[in-house]
Amino acid sequence: MKVTKAVITAAGPDQRNLPLQTLIDRDGNRKTVLQILVEEVLEAGVEEIAVVLHPDDVTAYREACTPFLSQISFITQNTPSGYGQAMLCAAEFVGNDFFLHLVGDHLYVSRSQMRCAKHLIAIAELNNCSVSAVQPTREALIPHFGVIGASRIHGSNELYKVEKVIEKPTPTVAEQQLFVSGLRAGHYLCFFGMHVLSPTIMKILAQLQTENPTKKLDLSSSLNELTVKEHYLALEISDWRFDMGAKYGLLKAQLSLALAGKDRDRLMAELLEFFVTKDIHSIGR
Amino acid sequence: MSKLIEIIISENPEVKNISLEQVCLHASLEDLLAECASLETFRHDNSNLYHRVRALFFLYAIHRFYIPFRDGVSSEGIIPYEAYEHMLNRRFEEAIDLFLKVQAQKGANEGISSGLADAYHQQAFQSLANQVKRSVRSTPGNQWMFRTGHPDDHPLKFRKELLIKDTQTGMYPLLHECTPVRMDLTHSGWSDIFFLGMDFPEGAKVLNISVDLCVRDAKQDAPKPPIDTYLRVIDEPVLRLTSIDLGTTASISKLSEVFDFAKDYLGLIKAAVIASGIVPPGMEGADLPLSQLLERLVGEGRGIELVSQVNNIPKGSRLAVSTNLLASLISLCMRATGQTEKIVGALQEDERRLVAAKAILGEWIGGSGGGWQDSGGVWPGMKLIKGVEATLKDPEFGVSKGRLLPKHTVLERDLVSAETRQKLQDSLVIVHGGMAQDVGPILEMVTEKYLLRSEKEWEARQKAILFFEEVVTKLKAGDVKEIGQFTQQNFEGPIQTIIPWSANYYTELLIQTVTKEFGDKFWGFWMMGGMSGGGMGFIFDPNVKAIAQKRLGEIMLEAKKRLIHAVPFAMEPVVYDFKINENGTFAQFKNGEDAILPVGYYTLITPTLLKRDLHTLTKCQHKELELLGNANKTNPQFGNFVSNLFERMMPQSENTSANLAVLMRLLTQHGFDVIQHSQIKSDLKAGRIGLVQNRLPANSKIEDVSASEVFDTRTENLKAYATIGEQALKNGELAIVSLAGGAGTRWTKGSGVVKSLNPFAKFAGKHRNFVEVHLAKSRLTMQQCGTNLPHIFTTSYSTHEAIEQYLQSVDNYSYPGSLILSPGRAIGLRLIPTERDLRFLWEETARQVLDEQSQKMQESLHQALINWAKANGEGEDYTDNLPNQCIHPVGHWYEVPNLFLNGKLLELITENPNLKHLFIHNIDTLGANADPAFFGYHIAKGSALTVEVISRKLDDRGGGLANVNGSLRLVEGLALPDEKIEFDLSYYNSNSFWVDIDQLLKAFKLLRSDLSDMEKVKNAVWQMSRRMPTYVTIKDVKKRWGKGQEDVFPITQFEKLWGDMTALPELGCSYMVVPRMRGQQLKEVSQLDGWLRDGSADYIDTLCSWED
Repeated sequence: MKVTKAVITAAGPDQRNLPLQTLIDRDGNRKTVLQILVEEVLEAGVEEIAVVLHPDDVTAYREACTPFLSQISFITQNTPSGYGQAMLCAAEFVGNDFFLHLVGDHLYVSRSQMRCAKHLIAIAELNNCSVSAVQPTREALIPHFGVIGASRIHGSNELYKVEKVIEKPTPTVAEQQLFVSGLRAGHYLCFFGMHVLSPTIMKILAQLQTENPTKKLDLSSSLNELTVKEHYLALEISDWRFDMGAKYGLLKAQLSLALAGKDRDRLMAELLEFFVTKDIHSIGR
Repeated sequence: MSKLIEIIISENPEVKNISLEQVCLHASLEDLLAECASLETFRHDNSNLYHRVRALFFLYAIHRFYIPFRDGVSSEGIIPYEAYEHMLNRRFEEAIDLFLKVQAQKGANEGISSGLADAYHQQAFQSLANQVKRSVRSTPGNQWMFRTGHPDDHPLKFRKELLIKDTQTGMYPLLHECTPVRMDLTHSGWSDIFFLGMDFPEGAKVLNISVDLCVRDAKQDAPKPPIDTYLRVIDEPVLRLTSIDLGTTASISKLSEVFDFAKDYLGLIKAAVIASGIVPPGMEGADLPLSQLLERLVGEGRGIELVSQVNNIPKGSRLAVSTNLLASLISLCMRATGQTEKIVGALQEDERRLVAAKAILGEWIGGSGGGWQDSGGVWPGMKLIKGVEATLKDPEFGVSKGRLLPKHTVLERDLVSAETRQKLQDSLVIVHGGMAQDVGPILEMVTEKYLLRSEKEWEARQKAILFFEEVVTKLKAGDVKEIGQFTQQNFEGPIQTIIPWSANYYTELLIQTVTKEFGDKFWGFWMMGGMSGGGMGFIFDPNVKAIAQKRLGEIMLEAKKRLIHAVPFAMEPVVYDFKINENGTFAQFKNGEDAILPVGYYTLITPTLLKRDLHTLTKCQHKELELLGNANKTNPQFGNFVSNLFERMMPQSENTSANLAVLMRLLTQHGFDVIQHSQIKSDLKAGRIGLVQNRLPANSKIEDVSASEVFDTRTENLKAYATIGEQALKNGELAIVSLAGGAGTRWTKGSGVVKSLNPFAKFAGKHRNFVEVHLAKSRLTMQQCGTNLPHIFTTSYSTHEAIEQYLQSVDNYSYPGSLILSPGRAIGLRLIPTERDLRFLWEETARQVLDEQSQKMQESLHQALINWAKANGEGEDYTDNLPNQCIHPVGHWYEVPNLFLNGKLLELITENPNLKHLFIHNIDTLGANADPAFFGYHIAKGSALTVEVISRKLDDRGGGLANVNGSLRLVEGLALPDEKIEFDLSYYNSNSFWVDIDQLLKAFKLLRSDLSDMEKVKNAVWQMSRRMPTYVTIKDVKKRWGKGQEDVFPITQFEKLWGDMTALPELGCSYMVVPRMRGQQLKEVSQLDGWLRDGSADYIDTLCSWED
């Protein structure tokens, strides 16, 4: 199996503008978030990308990633009917192939030489199955994420067999159903926002939509169904991801990129000066 | 290998279930001590909880029931104070080490064995309770709450739909949960106790039904779920909690206040808030404003309101109302915070289990507890609840055999048909008999007996399990009549075999009357919950159910009237109508004009709102008052709202003044000494008297007495004395005086019942009270000596009328001799205690530290009570209760001079000219009788007073025989300058006195001939009373209110005690040591089981001759 396709979803009412934000990347270049995401995907060996977006945003998105237009298809989601439905819009594009999936409002910053997407694809190709990137997250934050229940793959430090997926669980539910041995107390494996998925997920999504056409379709329920139908792994990733829709999310993403790049020392010096000056002023007052 | 260890570790049921009795009954002292040594090592080395606990119970039982009764075991033994202190501080292991050290040095003795028995017993229960706590904490779904210590880490959020105000009314929506209560058709011998289910899951079985109720003849026309709880968001950053039925509301703005359980009556709602995770238990101790947490949960400037209402179900109903109320509130909070899938409707099975687990947590946090079936109301209809063996994924695995939480299997209609359900409803009459008792001691007894595998009880348990299967089979077959037979057989057989105290005279009287009246139309009695007397079921032929309901109400009232002074009733008996609830706990989402709370809530809240300036009300409060105005016009439920509101705002004082008038009349009638009372009040306020001042001067020299200073009846030859005594008895030289004027506070827990009339145990197949037992002993003496033995019961204002009427109603139990009541002539008015005395009692004296959560609860309660005393006036008259609860008897010293004052002694000596001696004893010293040998010794010795003392055991607290500044005398515990001294005294005062009448009169400066000169007598008594010390004491008094609710208040009273007569130099006193079974007293109900099992009850029976 080889992963050559990617789907980026960016149609959510609260996240539509986030991929269009401009940031300075590690190399000091001004880029849109979308551009940074697309670069990461292409660097991982993907050849075709589908971006699912709101019909009104096509022009702005095209402008935001001009250099890569030949490899990108824009698919519109006409009514906001949930994250799962946005995915389902890309069913035709995906066809019968495994594909990489990222969310457009997250930014991923690798802490090692290998970028997150590349790492994930390598694991999926090696195991020939769906793999979701996950991160141990303390329980106070789990109401913001999809969370998995899993058991560790024997002999591996980073791989888990996914047994259950619940979207934004309470810690009460998490403790009962999503316990993973080997994690620190009060920590659960939460989605990192990046997955390699088999085409079966599209069939499951379609089936769930048929069964309950009025209900907003979320992705976690389908991923939970996937655990029953196929071998499905999770890869524990120690990289950073930033939800830019969260309070100060964009600022944190920018800081992280800058501190991981070539301007690190300059930025550190300027920040230090800022803090010191601020403190002196407050003492003077 | 030790036989007992073999029993403990064996997997073979035939060995594992061998009773302790089988091994120990004929074992020698050496064998017993060797077994104890092996068990002691075993329990330290073994990691299995139940092995350890069973070893602890074996050790307890050997020291309690076997070692003290072996030859070669000394009855004297000094208990080290240090060990006692360890016990008080719950450091049982240290206490055990110390006791064992003393035992190794001095050999086995009764005193040390009593200490060891108590320490092992408490350590066993502590170990079990700790395990339950650990299991509750580690139940998945509860763990995170102990890790969440700061509002910023709080992972819950309210569901969005609760945060959106209705556009029309401007009010937030209301979440309303209705929850039924549960009945258990059979509890298989209390098998729902956590400890039992965790060790014996295969025997833990319950058939449990969720029911709706209403009180028959009340305004409500049909049964409905008895519990309603409500939750909504409010526009004020506080947690507002209201209990409508308890009439209490509070707005909480600090985190620490949520954990203050005893501050008001809202402890249960607070426990629900904590156990559901809204304020997680991990935040206890955080000194933060609640607004920070509320902001995270519901948004800035908003708060949460929780309201509860229990509809007409009294406390002690045996229907697990409080657990189901807690579960209802927890379910509501879980729904609101997204911990359930759906916000409305019934819960799913895993959600119900979680609610049950959190309810157990809530009960532990709130310092209470029940069985594992109690949250049964959360489930729908009929269900089987059974213990489950722990598996690898359970936190209990490797610790206990069974899981903490059982498995619930709902019996659907294919198993129990709709027709059967209807039949059950048509046959069963549910009542509340009016008694509210603490079942805690019963549950402890059950656990202990199970772990000891006592033969009779173990057989009864097997039988109860069979009955359970039979009841389930008959239920599936739809045979209600046979169910009735089985539940009655279960009550009469296994239940009473395991715990004789689960039945009582009142219940038996009801069953007898119903059986007599309804014959074969009465199909059976059914005990609900822990014990009878409260919630009970009677199964009838459906054709007579209506009449049976009516008659049962009347029968209960008649029985209550007859036993009002003998049995602790908390309320009027009631008959219920009921219906099986097929929903379990169920929630509705209400918005707009429907989002209105019950009328009782507004009656409680509105006066406060109306008193405030309108501009200080929040927008929602404004809107709510508008909504209320409309509801008052259109909603029929609000029909009486305005009049109720006025009643609440302007409380009627009729009851209060009527009570005061009765109180004044009582005081006048019983010779209340106004001058003395004023003096005591002013002394108390000024600090001249008080708990500290009770004590003898610190420089008093108080020493133990030597064996040569007392006459030991256990070792001396008594034959010659017996001859003297027999002759004197035949001559008619003795009268018995039983002191029955006291309130018996420890026995009745301040409920105002007359202890002497309490039918506390069965003798010769019938429940007997203390008066009857004493008369039965005198009857036997009369039969043996062939003479009249006058028997006097001294009474007081609180006991006279009750005893007199009762004795009349039973024709003096056909006592063949003279039976005389000696009415009291002294009365005191209780006072509100001073903060000084309360702090001294609670903070300065050695007191039993409680289990962690209960201790927190108690400390919070103590603070609340100190505030109560300060707010109501320290040292002022206590009048805010029923008149009888405001006055007090003034100590048993007065009960003897009263015989002079009321002419009864004169009457006696006139009718019995040979009368020379009195034998005075407490009503609860059941072994005290006119034994000729002891009487003979008293005569031969020629003393004015001969005092019976017993060798001390751990529980014998309250002074004893001592050498005080060179003179032998009885000294009260209250008077000891240091509590430690008591532990150096070998002998405890049994308060039984042989009195030479003439010498006593002489001490009063009286002669027999002076007894007709009342002025002289009065003066003599007054003079003597001035020489007697006055002790200030603090006692608990119950105040009842609402539906069986009770508050216990500490109050101050004073007393003078007869034992202080021994300090008079002119009165010659001698002391004899008597066997424990003769001298021991029954002070607390919890002593009864041990008393029955150690042979004391059988001993008493040998002293008695029953009229029937």
